[in-house]
Amino acid sequence: MNGDTTHDDLIDDEARARIGTELSRGTGTVVAKEFQRWAASVKDRNPLYFDADYARSQGYRDVVMPPMYLGQVTQGVYDLDRLRPDGIPLGDGAGDVALARTPKRLAGGEEITFHEPVYDGDVITAVRVVESIEQKQGRSGPFVMMRSRVTYTRQDGSVVAEAFGTLIAKP
Amino acid sequence: MFFFSAATYNGHRIHYDRSWATEVEGYPELLVQGPLQSALLARSITDWIGGRGRLLRLSFQNRAVAYPGDPMRFEGTVIAVDVESGTVELSVLATKGGSGEVLMPGTATVRLPRRA
Repeated sequence: MNGDTTHDDLIDDEARARIGTELSRGTGTVVAKEFQRWAASVKDRNPLYFDADYARSQGYRDVVMPPMYLGQVTQGVYDLDRLRPDGIPLGDGAGDVALARTPKRLAGGEEITFHEPVYDGDVITAVRVVESIEQKQGRSGPFVMMRSRVTYTRQDGSVVAEAFGTLIAKP
Repeated sequence: MFFFSAATYNGHRIHYDRSWATEVEGYPELLVQGPLQSALLARSITDWIGGRGRLLRLSFQNRAVAYPGDPMRFEGTVIAVDVESGTVELSVLATKGGSGEVLMPGTATVRLPRRA
């Protein structure tokens, strides 16, 4: 697969070597006020997220984290002196995969499976593994598609969710 | 949109700095955050399933960007029901309300409460 440079010429060897490896790992604690601020910004006033009595009446033990907030839990803290001019922290986007020949990044899509509800105080660890990096031909020219899998694990070791994401990188 | 960027710790200027979005990056307007689109899609599902329903799986593709002021339309179609497990497979779709442009097609699996 590696000598075929005319076919996969947008993918450098460094990126190719990351296929199948762990790209990033992060841990964070779920804080109700943070996921409630997120839900409020989506104008999602689902009482499951805000009203513990209501949540208990529906079979939960406390207010529930909105499922789509999960990816935010493990976000770190940026060094604001190391932002790109467009406001993105340096090194963000494809994580540690440089893909230097395709600097433009677009989210392609995601498939998330939710196994367990998540609550305030839960400690979540997210591990991202590169599943594939492939060059494709699109209507507007060649592009690179990177698929990765993120496994979200709670402090007790149970997997609360898994996400398969696609990143599109264009020259 | 500003509050969503704040709540997701997203500093990308294309979502809040109009002159950056239009003059530097060449977009016609500020861009609605992709994760805001998918959060709104999920909201349309969780509102439908109610407090005892569970969102088990959501899959979507990002096809187009939305701009501030665009009306967004979310729809879902039941494509399969498994009475035994209480799970329902849905086809879901986010479009722009005016033009009908497809923003996010997808599928979802939910579990619905059973009637007593």
